Amino acid sequence: MVGLVVVCHSRALARAAAALASEMTQGRPVAVEIAAGLDETTFGTDAVEISEAVVAADSGDGVVVLMDLGSAVLSAETALELLDDDQRARVVLCPAPLVEGLVAAAVTAAGGAPRDEVAAEAMAGLAGKQSHFGALSEEPGDPVSRTEEAPSAVVRVLNPHGLHARPAARLVSELRPFDARVELRNESTDSAWVPASSLTRVATLGALKGHELAVRASGPQAQQAIDRLVTLAAESFGESPVDHAELIKSGPALHRGSPATDHYPRSERSSPAPCGQPGIVDNSDPPSPQPTDTADPPSPQPTDTAAAPSPQPTDAAAAPSPRPTDAAAAPSPRPDQAAALSPQPTDAATVYGLTWQGTASSPGIAIGPAVRLHETVLEIPAEESRGSEAERDRLGDALATARREIGRLSGDIFEAHLVLLDDDDLLGDARARIDGGATAPQAWRDATDRVAAEFDALPDPYLRARAADVRAVAAQVLRALLGVAAATVDGEGILFAADLTPAEVAGLDPTRTKGVVLSGGSPTSHAAILLRTKGIPAVVGAGPIEVTEGTPAVGAGPIEIAEGTPAAGAGPIGIAEGTPAVMDGSTGEVVADPDPKTLADFQARVERQRTRRDEAHKRATEPAVTRAGVTIKVGANVGSVAEARAAAEHGADLAGLVRTEFLFLDRDTAPDADEQEAVYRRIAEALGGRRITLRTLDAGSDKPLPYLPAPVEANPFLGVRGIRHSLVHRAMFAEQLRAIVRVARETPVSVMFPMVTTVGEVFEARRMLDETTGGNTPAGMRVGMMVEVPAAAIRAAAFVPYVDFFSVGTNDLTQYTLAAERGNADLLSLASGLDPAVAELIDGVCRAAGDRVLVAVCGELAADETVVPRLLASGVRELSVAPSLVPLVKQAVRQG
Amino acid sequence: MDTKDLTAWIREFAGLVAQHKDELTALDSAIGDGDHGVNMDRGLTAVVAALEAEPPDSPSALFKKVGMTLISKVGGASGPLYGTAFLRMAAAADSVLDGAGFAKVLRSGLDGVVARGKAQPGDKTMVDALGPAVDALDAALASGAGTKAALQAAADAAEQGREATIPLVARKGRASYLGERSAGHPDPGATSVTLLMQAAASTLGS
Repeated sequence: MVGLVVVCHSRALARAAAALASEMTQGRPVAVEIAAGLDETTFGTDAVEISEAVVAADSGDGVVVLMDLGSAVLSAETALELLDDDQRARVVLCPAPLVEGLVAAAVTAAGGAPRDEVAAEAMAGLAGKQSHFGALSEEPGDPVSRTEEAPSAVVRVLNPHGLHARPAARLVSELRPFDARVELRNESTDSAWVPASSLTRVATLGALKGHELAVRASGPQAQQAIDRLVTLAAESFGESPVDHAELIKSGPALHRGSPATDHYPRSERSSPAPCGQPGIVDNSDPPSPQPTDTADPPSPQPTDTAAAPSPQPTDAAAAPSPRPTDAAAAPSPRPDQAAALSPQPTDAATVYGLTWQGTASSPGIAIGPAVRLHETVLEIPAEESRGSEAERDRLGDALATARREIGRLSGDIFEAHLVLLDDDDLLGDARARIDGGATAPQAWRDATDRVAAEFDALPDPYLRARAADVRAVAAQVLRALLGVAAATVDGEGILFAADLTPAEVAGLDPTRTKGVVLSGGSPTSHAAILLRTKGIPAVVGAGPIEVTEGTPAVGAGPIEIAEGTPAAGAGPIGIAEGTPAVMDGSTGEVVADPDPKTLADFQARVERQRTRRDEAHKRATEPAVTRAGVTIKVGANVGSVAEARAAAEHGADLAGLVRTEFLFLDRDTAPDADEQEAVYRRIAEALGGRRITLRTLDAGSDKPLPYLPAPVEANPFLGVRGIRHSLVHRAMFAEQLRAIVRVARETPVSVMFPMVTTVGEVFEARRMLDETTGGNTPAGMRVGMMVEVPAAAIRAAAFVPYVDFFSVGTNDLTQYTLAAERGNADLLSLASGLDPAVAELIDGVCRAAGDRVLVAVCGELAADETVVPRLLASGVRELSVAPSLVPLVKQAVRQG
Repeated sequence: MDTKDLTAWIREFAGLVAQHKDELTALDSAIGDGDHGVNMDRGLTAVVAALEAEPPDSPSALFKKVGMTLISKVGGASGPLYGTAFLRMAAAADSVLDGAGFAKVLRSGLDGVVARGKAQPGDKTMVDALGPAVDALDAALASGAGTKAALQAAADAAEQGREATIPLVARKGRASYLGERSAGHPDPGATSVTLLMQAAASTLGS
């Protein structure tokens, strides 16, 4: 009789499993030996003990060994080496699940089966459980298919554009977590089966609206995976809600020959438009003829683009799908929305201008041609492979870089890009090419070219256009591989882009880039903050717009619309490079190809703006005194000596926030006190001896320091940053305090601690500061804290005895109060402006502060002219903004 | 180097692991099941006791005893991995080893670890430190360096290999369940290998 050996980390578990198995073999005892645990209570496995157990269990018919995981497997393998050759040949290491496998093996061994059969039965030990769960989800009254078929189903694609990249990405990413091998085929085109784990393979199914997809799965969670897919298909893979009853859900046999075709919905409601979705209005004057193929009559035309109602998300949700063929079947919209929301892509000549309503992000008017980012030409250098391992590593690093870059963006398009970076088919192909002797750049380019070409070859124009997603990702990874900078702007005008990295914004020339329109982003993203700092007017969250190559439409000529444009969220609106455009960074309006009336309106705004700006600049160095006679100090936020100079030039009363991080980032060692002192002194000098507010290092895993490796945090903004970081890295903190105190002995300095949550933190930081001064506090030094954690704002009164001033960091305070990440375009409505909850917190801080503690605001809201009066009314007495905005904020104070 | 020298190496390794037990366990707690330091210390304490009870008379016997003790007493995956390494080293060892002989023995150990764990470079395992160490040892000897200097180069390479595991995502063992979260920490196995090579550099060669 074949013997069994149970190897696992826990002796108790092994004993119990053996006892369970022995219950199944009553009367015919099977030799079950255990080799488990280092002793009764210590988890571990022992190869010597395993080899002894094998010897004990072997009666000459051999042994089947069952293991739990990890070291159990390695130790069992090692044990084999300790056996003599004869005995080793009689041992089978069986990868079956421990408990199920052991029970099945014991029963089989008791029946006298040979060891291979025992092992095979053990491997099949999961079948009972699998078929159980498989059977549960079958329809009642269908006993036949219960165990005969692997779980399967057929779903119909309801998405208007078929299973294109984004729904396909959703499918792949939703099914991946299941422990199941899922395959799909397009029944309508009789395609081959493709793995559902590969985005590129799924997309090449060419699944169009109405096509039927067969899905089959195996593995422990096969049925759950199928059920998830069925639900996803019913929800159009997240694109639009459809009644579940409209979906086929069955084993493969159930629907054949079903006359159900006509019962499927023929049209879909379009999904709610995301915030900032472009409305497309006819701003010609007089109104142009309406296309004749809609169900609705022409609507009254707005005559002034600027005054045209921009479509609101709530309206868009109720609007019909803009596809002409669907419009007839869809519920009728209100006539005034029909014109705004039903552009006719097949009849582009009727669309005379494009208006977007984005989110105002950096004030100012811009007029100029549309320009775009120009991708750098990526050339594959002729070089020898450094060996497949090294090249695989190169590729791995580049993929990680691209993943990080994309990870900073949000939205479904980027999710599709992220999934591509994990695509088995694409990566497998690239790695195979590397193993075949290609360098990483060659292999990556060839693999992505192949996949893009597969998309190019698809019959459906929409899917064909998804090759662009592949090429975008391909270029991003290739740039990382080749170490090539991202993109440059050619020409003067208004830059339209999906989003900009902080580095890209930093490279913009304000004299050439008159304005920026971003499809995504938020006013509190780093890109937006940098744009304000540079004084470049900006509108963000404008929805998908893409500047394309082509002949610009000048004057009131027709605008070419990119293929596949109209559906909500389906693809970007294309405008040709060089198309005249206007934008207003204070209102969020963007108009491409404006009519003369609109253009004149914007020119008038520029004129008013210029007048106002001239006035503000003339009075920049004067104090800002409110109408009530209160002097408000308006300072500048600076992050370098150059910005300190700019602050002085723009009339800043002080540096309300010096971000000292710039001294610490992008270097291999921390700056010592001497180096810091020199830079702080230069900042003070640049400001002509006006007060500088030095914020101690605000580092953390969101801004990691190369020389202080920090554990990766799942949520860096809620992690060890700011004062928390400083109190962990005390030597570095003490060094910074030393530098600050030295400068404070010569010039007015305020020191400010970031990210304070508890009184204990301020207490400890002040204690360290006292140690540094040796009890001899510099006369002009003030000590304060950032109020950016809601806990600190709520308990502001508790901090009052320990600080001279509060400085409210509205960016983080807003983010933390609303649990809305800045930079997430989908949360624009939450993350922008002065939220009432934040306003109440600031009120509370001011009340707690009373006359004893000064309250400043150094966040972005301090620069919002519409918010300034509200802040002053709360009791805020100091504002600190980007240097270029100081004159305007002072003017706002005077007029507020 | 003879049996006595090599015994001194193993004792030094045991001492270093005992010293760094908490650190190894902390690393393993970050990305694994938190037992590497405890397990290795238990195994090496048993090794030292076994060597004292019955001093081996050849390098081969020494390595065999170390290997057998480790596979029996460590408990975790490092038991069969280190154990297999030493058992393979036992099979490859001559009675007296020069630098090149030691390098050959160490490479057999590396081959054993790779065969047992099926780990590839970059999987964030002990292979990421042991592989570079063995390569560096060969390279240094080939370029004419003395044994002592070559072992120092090997220890340095192990340390660099260990550092290079920090950003990696684990693909083997329980750490692999953590996926991306395993990045940001050095691999505990690579860390203990670094100690093994540092012990070699400080005790072997002259």
